[in-house]
Amino acid sequence: MKMDNLKSKHKIVKKGRWTIHEKTFFVLIILVLILGGMNIAKARGLLIPFSPTPIVEDRTIELSSLTLDQKIAQMVVVHGSTWNMEQWKKMQVGGIHFFALKDAQLYEQTIIEYQKGMKVPFMVTADLEGCWNPFSYFHNFTALSEINTTEQAYQVGAEEGRFLHTLGFTLDFSPVVDLKDEIWKCRSFTGDKAQVTALAQAYIKGLQSQGVAATAKHYPGKTLVVQDPHKYIVAAEIDSADVYPFQLLAEGKELKGVMVSHIISSGAVDSGGKPAVVSSQALKSLRSEFNGIIFSDEVNMLGLKNYYSSLDDLYFDVFSSGNDVVVNFNEDPNEIYRMIQIVKKGVQEGKLSSEQIDASVKRILELKGFRVV
Amino acid sequence: MVPPKAWVVINFSLGLVIVLLLLNLLGINLPSLGQVQYVLDREPPLCLAYWQGHYESWTDLDSCCLEAYKQLNCFFHQQNLEQGRVDWVCRTGESSVSYGLNAKAYRYCQQQSYWR
Repeated sequence: MKMDNLKSKHKIVKKGRWTIHEKTFFVLIILVLILGGMNIAKARGLLIPFSPTPIVEDRTIELSSLTLDQKIAQMVVVHGSTWNMEQWKKMQVGGIHFFALKDAQLYEQTIIEYQKGMKVPFMVTADLEGCWNPFSYFHNFTALSEINTTEQAYQVGAEEGRFLHTLGFTLDFSPVVDLKDEIWKCRSFTGDKAQVTALAQAYIKGLQSQGVAATAKHYPGKTLVVQDPHKYIVAAEIDSADVYPFQLLAEGKELKGVMVSHIISSGAVDSGGKPAVVSSQALKSLRSEFNGIIFSDEVNMLGLKNYYSSLDDLYFDVFSSGNDVVVNFNEDPNEIYRMIQIVKKGVQEGKLSSEQIDASVKRILELKGFRVV
Repeated sequence: MVPPKAWVVINFSLGLVIVLLLLNLLGINLPSLGQVQYVLDREPPLCLAYWQGHYESWTDLDSCCLEAYKQLNCFFHQQNLEQGRVDWVCRTGESSVSYGLNAKAYRYCQQQSYWR
């Protein structure tokens, strides 16, 4: 009894000995641990919820079975880094893009790892256009400017397609159909608008004969000309010759994709003072001629970002303007998830029609070889 | 026994850590030293595209940054060229296009959210 009294007395005394500094320290250390844990969870993408597994039967997907998150995620191409693989798989983004790696095996293994267990596989993309060559550490290709005949263009396209297909790529952001390349002098075909178009057509046939989809870029043209610095965003007067290759290739119905640039265009394609990639005016003009997939150029550039007062507006505009696929190489999966949520909110609030989203997702899934019902 | 002054320092430091953790959690980025250097640097940014012995200035700095980042590696290599001084070179292989950037342009590139 005496001992118990002593113990409880001791406890009270000890309790009373806690100074304000000690109490503050205790509270702060608990907060550091909680916030630290939440930061780690965020960094590892643990705060991003899993998307349900899509139901696929006989290569057929019922569009209504996909959640809105899944649909919007399908409209995004991200950088296929190894450190974010689990998060991209969890979100079921539509595509992964690869930068330069040291050898073919590394590409193959990473792509296999990415595609493992995916009911809807990733679109696997690269920027292989001859002299722009992420594989140049171990493989060389002919520059587009060195191609003179349509036969040669077909062969180069087929060679690049075979190479890409072997590694597991399904889409190439190539060819460049800008009429002039004043910067690199190797990225576009040489000749007048008709010659450039004919060479591009043959190259596309060659590339696609190997099961790799081609993307003509950069709509509406004049992206590879020397410009005066203009707050890092480029403006150009587009004439009918610039859009001629896009129009002709679109008419041929073979071309799978077109990539839209950040250029502020006037003239034959007027982007209304906005960068073309976020201009519904420019994209409507393209959509009226082309029924394939419209890709945005990479959106994560400071010049484009600085055009907007808020990143949320940029994200919304790049989807609502009519791009089917948005290329965003932000390495933070939380940011990509946030972008998806912003677009989702726009759809739920009726600012962006769900029909537009469905039409884009249908195009993407069809390109991936699915029947969409 | 920890002296009261030490407690104040410890608790203040923990408070600072909490603020930083909270900012990071909410996605609010503080300006980095690189950003400050970029603003203070009066030299204009320079990006050069190099292919087959030919250098050409590329004024679309955003696109230049992205392409430089896509290369296998970037390394410090100062060169004085007709177009200006280059401090960094980003490249993959001999046969494809590589990029030369001055320090100002390189710092601008480092501010891009994809740059790690």
